[in-house]
Amino acid sequence: MSQFLVKEGVKNQIRKGEKLVTTHCCYCGMQCGMHIRVDEKTNKVMGVEPRYDWVLTKGKMCPKGVTAYQTIDHPDRIKRPLIKKNGKFVESSWEEALDLIERKYKEIQGTYGKDALAVYGGVSMTNEKCYLVGKYARVGLGTRYIDYNGRYCMSSAAGGFNKTLGIDRGSSLPWTELEHSDCFFMAGSNTAECHPTSIQWFWKAKDKGAKLIVADPRETATARVADVHLDLLPGTDSALANGIMHLLIKHDYVDHEYVQERCNNFEELKEMTAKFTPEYTSKITGVAAEKIIKAAHIFGKSPRSVVMFARGAEQQTAGVDNVSLYTSMALLRGQIGKFASGVATFTGQGNGQGGREHGQKADLLPGYRKLTDPKAVEYISGVWGIQPEEMPQPGVSAYEMFHLMEAKTIRGLHVICSNPVVSSPNINYVQEQLENLDFLVVNDFFLSETAELADVVLPATTWAEDEGTTTNTEGRIIHIRKVVDPIGESKPDWEIMSLIAERLGKGQHFQYNEPREIFDELRLASKGGKADYYGVTYEKIDEQDGVFWPAPSLDHPGTPSMFKERFATEDGKANLAVCDYRGPAEVQSKQYPLWLTTGRVVFHYLSGNQTRRVDFLKEQCPEPFVEMHPELASQYQIENGERVKLSTPRGDMIAPVKITKAIRKDTMFVPYHWGKKLAVNQLTSPALDPISRMPEFKVCAVKLEKLTK
Amino acid sequence: MNKIMYLEFERCIGCRACQAACRECGDHDAKERNYVEYVDFTESRQTFPMLCMQCKDPACARVCPANAIQITEEGVVLSAMEEKCIGCRNCTFGCPFGIPKFDFETNKMYKCDMCYDRTRHDIAPMCASVCPSDAIRFIDFDEMQQLRRKRTQMNLVEGKKPQEGNKWDYVPEFFGVYTDSQS
Ligand code: SF4
Ligand code: SF4
Ligand code: SF4
Repeated sequence: MSQFLVKEGVKNQIRKGEKLVTTHCCYCGMQCGMHIRVDEKTNKVMGVEPRYDWVLTKGKMCPKGVTAYQTIDHPDRIKRPLIKKNGKFVESSWEEALDLIERKYKEIQGTYGKDALAVYGGVSMTNEKCYLVGKYARVGLGTRYIDYNGRYCMSSAAGGFNKTLGIDRGSSLPWTELEHSDCFFMAGSNTAECHPTSIQWFWKAKDKGAKLIVADPRETATARVADVHLDLLPGTDSALANGIMHLLIKHDYVDHEYVQERCNNFEELKEMTAKFTPEYTSKITGVAAEKIIKAAHIFGKSPRSVVMFARGAEQQTAGVDNVSLYTSMALLRGQIGKFASGVATFTGQGNGQGGREHGQKADLLPGYRKLTDPKAVEYISGVWGIQPEEMPQPGVSAYEMFHLMEAKTIRGLHVICSNPVVSSPNINYVQEQLENLDFLVVNDFFLSETAELADVVLPATTWAEDEGTTTNTEGRIIHIRKVVDPIGESKPDWEIMSLIAERLGKGQHFQYNEPREIFDELRLASKGGKADYYGVTYEKIDEQDGVFWPAPSLDHPGTPSMFKERFATEDGKANLAVCDYRGPAEVQSKQYPLWLTTGRVVFHYLSGNQTRRVDFLKEQCPEPFVEMHPELASQYQIENGERVKLSTPRGDMIAPVKITKAIRKDTMFVPYHWGKKLAVNQLTSPALDPISRMPEFKVCAVKLEKLTK
Repeated sequence: MNKIMYLEFERCIGCRACQAACRECGDHDAKERNYVEYVDFTESRQTFPMLCMQCKDPACARVCPANAIQITEEGVVLSAMEEKCIGCRNCTFGCPFGIPKFDFETNKMYKCDMCYDRTRHDIAPMCASVCPSDAIRFIDFDEMQQLRRKRTQMNLVEGKKPQEGNKWDYVPEFFGVYTDSQS
């Protein structure tokens, strides 16, 4: 029955007249393996088939992955460039759109200087594209102002890892080892909903007796199966981590030899955590002291543990502190750099890992090099064929770019692969700044809320119409295959950027025929940097089920497990975090007496621009809702399903209530995947972490009102 | 084929990938045949999946006055036959698991057929293939037996043994669906 075989020993259903193209999901950092069914005659996408043999996900997918193929040939696809004329979009030729962009870009930069034009990137695209966004901004446009949506996603994890471990790789271990771990300490991650296919690994371990500790204000689907659920107040993670470390020290769960040999700052940490007794920690976090004690003992006794966290702990003004402190918990136990133990963050976007390494960040160059390092500037200038003096200075973070738009420092913007008018905090302000721009260009394949505000919308391709690589949540570089040719007149982002660069007289720096050529340049650009991709090739990825960076030479197999001998800091030692609890930027008041936190549902991805258009996902979750405890609901005389008003000083929204005991009594939760009047990001706080410049999406003080009938 | 659909309700994370995937199966007309429900959302987020138990003596077929529900030689209970189904909906009441669904447009019952096109070739059904949490599995008889022994094994690891009055706590929560023919 050979028609069932995709490869020896792996049976799939392959229908007559169809072929399977082997690739990965376009959405979250799990990057689940999948086959896409294509009709051989018509070359149309027909559906999806599980990829049972993909090492990390074994054919499993969440509903977003199952339906991802439906976005490819979707009726809402933008198939030709759109130019806004008299407030309405009119289809145009590429020629006309590029003419307009060239004229406007030259006008703006001619009058106000190079930096008056900015680029806003994203990481839901391949490494090739992410890399090129940085080069496009700095070489093509010559502007210093470039940042990307990963600022809202991974920047605190990056900041924390760099500070403690000296390098920012999302996971210190390959996740196929997780089944051998004895304990998971998970903070601010609802992995069951946000990275569903990871759950299989936790179950594998749990089936053998592993323990799960989850810190989350809600009893999520993940927390429901935890041995201890630490139901902390949003924004109090640093107190919790300090409290756990207090107990690790008190009960002598510290791996002294490891700490002595491989870590700095132990004495300082000991001093700082001294005051975080269970009682003190309980008072700040709202978690019962017994639960904190129980969690510390379970974690402390486990021979192999993994500390994991996600946006719940990271999207705070203390995001970097939280990541550093949680990482330090793993260090105290001597876990990092060993089998089936370590530390990891859950990458939210498909290429959240890779996309942050190749120079889309305001202050970074490819290979995780620093723009402030003259040697790095010299090396990259060489790769790019420019003079080091031509390299622009560091810019500012994503949210801060909107301030510069308000100040008219930035007058034109090119948004690539992002929807900031839904995904930013305080979006009423963001919308105003985008509306006031002289010129806004957006690349997208669906007309997002941000694209609606554009002067020119350029039709990009979906992930399935281009080849390339992404780097998954483990740090494993994988191969995305081209499934079909671009739909309509759409073009992959790398081609769009190259066309514009050409118009601006920089064409010689953007001579690419295919993504592979960009990848080869990226490999060279990252060579010798921290995130070294030099030894990674498409062939090697296919041969060995992905390659973990760093892979510094062609004969290097990659690095699944990090920090076996030393950390990536200057002295090779990890820096234990010594951080006090600071508290969120906003405090409750008479006017705003409750807490609001935000997050994802399993059915939607980021700003929802893709998933809100997929029938199944739309049916399952058509609109945002306010989750609250029955006790809180009864205080306000609110019934299940009733529409209520939430407000903060920045905005308000109306949404139906879902009543459940699986949430703290003082906290409400609203998912963020919708725009305009349905956007909870009208309410969220733009307070930034001082180091990562990550906004505090996860905590704000809010007012709840019953609507009069 | 001697495979078993094995359900472990506690593992269900409510992602509904099984439902989305059910729509993807060949003859399913983009309509799912399984369902996932909350046990009681006010109390907890626990959900559970349900699909056809492929009963040996199916209530749906038994109450069908038109003999429209066929059972394959492998024991799979199929959707109503187009030409026979009279649209009386008896089957939707008869099934104790609420599985048969009714299409009011075509006036015809449709239900889970265990992805017959897949399972008869020993390929896992769509729901079991994608379920991230292994709440639904399509496994060999031997593997099933091993899973049955697991709870006992875990209790030994944890040093527990059943006492008078709590024996039921030691029974794994699961549901099995058997198909037992050769292919
Ligand atoms: S969204 Fe994430 S978990 Fe879901 S199928 Fe895609 S990669 Fe897998
Ligand atoms: S796919 Fe599995 S975990 Fe998800 S709802 Fe269905 S049974 Fe539950
Ligand atoms: S076995 Fe097939 S038909 Fe039945 S519920 Fe699962 S996916 Fe649907």
